[in-house]
Amino acid sequence: MSTVPNPEPLRKEIGKLAVQAQPLWYKDAIIYQLHVRTFCDSNNDGIGDFTGLLQKLDYLQELGINTLWLLPFFPSPLRDDGYDIADYTSVHPNYGTLDEFRAFLNAAHARGIRIIIELVANHTSDQHPWFQEARSSTDNPKRDWYVWSDTDDKYKQVRIIFIDTELSNWAWDPVSKSYYWHRFFSHQPDLNWDNPAVFQAMWAVMKFWLDIGVDGFRLDAIPYLIEREGTNGENLPETHAILREIRRLLDKEYPGKMLLAEANQWPADVRAYFGDGDEFHMAFHFPLMPRMFMAVRLEDRKPIIEILEQTPQIPESCQWCIFLRNHDELTLEMVTDIERDYMYDEYAKDKQMRINLGIRRRLAPMMENDRRRIELLTGMLMSMPGTPIIYYGDEIGMGDNVYLGDRNGVRTPMQWNGGWNAGFSGADPERLYSAVISNPVYGYAAINVESQRRSQHSLLAWMKQIIHVRDSTTIFSRGTIEFLRPSNHRVLAYVRCYEDKQVLVVNNLSSTAQAVELNLQDYKGSIPIEMFGGNLFPRIGDASYLLTLAPYQFFWFRLRRI
Amino acid sequence: MVEEILLADDFVRQLISVGEVDILVGIPSFNNAATIGQTVLAVEQSFQQGFARERVVLVNVDGGSGDGTREVVMNTRAEKSSSGRGLTSLRTEQRVVTQYGNAPSASLAMRTILAAADLLRAKACAVISPATSNLTTAWITNLLEPVYRDKFDYVAPLYNRHKYDGLLSRNLLYPMSRSVFGQGIRELHPSELGFSGRLAGHCLAQNVWNQEDIQDAPEIWMALTAISSDFKCCQAFLGTKERASAGTAPDIVTAVRQNVGSLFWCLDAEEDFWMQRAKPEAVPSFGSESDLTSEPMNLNRQRIFELFRSGVQDLAPILQTILATETMAEIQSVAGQSEEKGRLSGDLWARTLFDFAASHHHAVLNRDHLIQALVPLYRGRIHSFLVEHQDSNAEQMEADTENLCVQFEKQKPYLVERWQAKA
Repeated sequence: MSTVPNPEPLRKEIGKLAVQAQPLWYKDAIIYQLHVRTFCDSNNDGIGDFTGLLQKLDYLQELGINTLWLLPFFPSPLRDDGYDIADYTSVHPNYGTLDEFRAFLNAAHARGIRIIIELVANHTSDQHPWFQEARSSTDNPKRDWYVWSDTDDKYKQVRIIFIDTELSNWAWDPVSKSYYWHRFFSHQPDLNWDNPAVFQAMWAVMKFWLDIGVDGFRLDAIPYLIEREGTNGENLPETHAILREIRRLLDKEYPGKMLLAEANQWPADVRAYFGDGDEFHMAFHFPLMPRMFMAVRLEDRKPIIEILEQTPQIPESCQWCIFLRNHDELTLEMVTDIERDYMYDEYAKDKQMRINLGIRRRLAPMMENDRRRIELLTGMLMSMPGTPIIYYGDEIGMGDNVYLGDRNGVRTPMQWNGGWNAGFSGADPERLYSAVISNPVYGYAAINVESQRRSQHSLLAWMKQIIHVRDSTTIFSRGTIEFLRPSNHRVLAYVRCYEDKQVLVVNNLSSTAQAVELNLQDYKGSIPIEMFGGNLFPRIGDASYLLTLAPYQFFWFRLRRI
Repeated sequence: MVEEILLADDFVRQLISVGEVDILVGIPSFNNAATIGQTVLAVEQSFQQGFARERVVLVNVDGGSGDGTREVVMNTRAEKSSSGRGLTSLRTEQRVVTQYGNAPSASLAMRTILAAADLLRAKACAVISPATSNLTTAWITNLLEPVYRDKFDYVAPLYNRHKYDGLLSRNLLYPMSRSVFGQGIRELHPSELGFSGRLAGHCLAQNVWNQEDIQDAPEIWMALTAISSDFKCCQAFLGTKERASAGTAPDIVTAVRQNVGSLFWCLDAEEDFWMQRAKPEAVPSFGSESDLTSEPMNLNRQRIFELFRSGVQDLAPILQTILATETMAEIQSVAGQSEEKGRLSGDLWARTLFDFAASHHHAVLNRDHLIQALVPLYRGRIHSFLVEHQDSNAEQMEADTENLCVQFEKQKPYLVERWQAKA
């Protein structure tokens, strides 16, 4: 354990000031998601680390993002990419030390970049000392920190999540000769959140990191904290009670910090995790993501409009988190069977691309490296209600390697340049935690930061621009959305409004040029100003507003009454 | 010369918004507000169940309804599922409504649907009647599937019918078209049918749409055009066909004029094709075989025979100009018998129809009058049919229909001979 002075009073003071300055910072955030292992290796051991990440903060600042979400970096056997935690209050030696984390955190803050870390609260690794103690004896004080049973008959109504690898949610422990409960891999026993000691232990973990200065937590696998016989074990009232208590403590002791829920559920079920503004600040909108891909392939706005119309209102202080791709498979749990089959057929013809109920691919390969479609999807991500998340490497159009097993194919080293190990590490290539992508289309020789920095027309340059435009107004991050319904269903058009300002967004989902007539009578007299170039378009009059759009083209117009 | 403009500007605007489609279902309507809502729902349900991935459009072409039919089409919505989760279908289900005129016209309605299919580059199309009260989603799917999945160009329906229903088809249209054109389509004038975009484009391009003879039954022309232009034809079983109510079914004179008029006109138009056609080919059928239903049906057999007998007497001078001498004599002989004994056999019926077809070709008299003169003889044939099949089951009826077709096929050389003879 490192020894540092108690920073609590100072942190609280900073937190209070942050709330006063930007109490809803997470609503205006543009989040960049990465695993420290994948980003930059400073000590040439083949694994990315915090010192390397610190060295790349200037790049992230230049990109324009203002929040970093770090995947688990804690000590772990790494059998589930770090989501099997063996020590909650330390840094895995592969990635550095706690002091190096602190240095990184301070450097990020100095650049105006906030840091969100993972809190894997549902389960630990079976290597965690808590579990080792719990299995050692039925009399051990930590025995009741996990969920045990003499049989594997309980909770039969609970579904299995990792259907490709697990046959049951119970696993036999040969040490204590009983079954333990696990919603994910069998080496990840679920914590028993009915035990107040577990709550206290996990709150202590949160305080540990909050005191160091992290700005928020992504709480993993939140719906599954509590088990009850006769239920599906998801979204139970007792789970919400626990979350409300965590939030109450957080607001009281660390104001300005943020909780983000990972609940892969339908929006109506996720809505409960916002409570009355007294549970999570943010939650992922899982069903929207596959439907954006679906809409572009179908060339039809229906999937997007329909899911957003099914999305309930959330408290004013809350926000959805939206994304295109992340470190996991493109999850198809929250779609119908027809939709899932369609997604598989269109985006994962090769069965190697499929895992669990999802698709393990990155954005650019899914779009067949079509810049227009990558930009269209990114444009929708940036203009829809919610805080957008960019997955590392997608800003340069990195590819994947579906033959690496599990979801490792979307977790390959960041491609910084066309040199040794893509500029990620000075180690021998054989030593890298993962092979770099090296094929002629997506390989590091073709796709890398350095080469894209040299071109004003690269995807990276375009990403910087759209992030800048998005960040230039709070309409996207805070505003309402109203869909226009032109008769041309290949065009997705909506107006974002915040206070007295409006932005009109028009997306052509089609691979062919489209004409669209928009009913903009509510904005009659306004002049549309195209937000990327600043050019004026004809004033909105009495007639329908006619626009023509090139294939996959989109417009963002600020509507000004002058 | 100013070219005729078929489609209204507003309709074209709607089609532009729809863009290219895979599936098009057309619903011609005229004052169908009471039933068309159910038809629309059945069509959209079939889209969701059978064509969830396809680009689909429902096109309502209306003949100037005054009962709000078009509004019903636009406003009918299926109830949302209680879960409210997921999508009802992947794509937007497009509806397009147009009024093609101020009075119903089968020809104009069909032409408008074909034009929409052509402009939208539809791959598979179906036409559905809003008057069919027992329409199910399977009907629509069964009409579209053979086109969309199996690359057929024309799909005629097969129905379960009462044995006395569809008499014109069973006794005239089917045996005659099968024997002459070489492919047996049971329902030559259906209220439901399926077709490919390719056939739609071909039919639309033909310079026939102002022909008086096909105005009321363009479906017959379309079916025979499909056969004679070498498009792939098939039949699909739909289910029990509920008869149209008395108020909507045409009377026998009108039915004969419409159907036989179209059929005879097609014989003229496609002479080169059917003259070369030697042996009939089977038309593939999908789904169950058609069957008979048993609801009661009141037909006054005696009255029908009386009308036959009086018609033969009254129209004798006209019939003599149409029929061969032998045929005329045999007809008169049948008419002279008692109601119990008088029978107009399949062989005689075939020769009678072929005489009429040849005379129609040679225009021995006004063609409309000529076809009207067929009506009493048709009644004679129906009378014979009713007597012979009073107690027949489905198998016996089917065997008899097959036998009738064979009679017609045997007599085809007779048709050719009369056709080629100078008037």
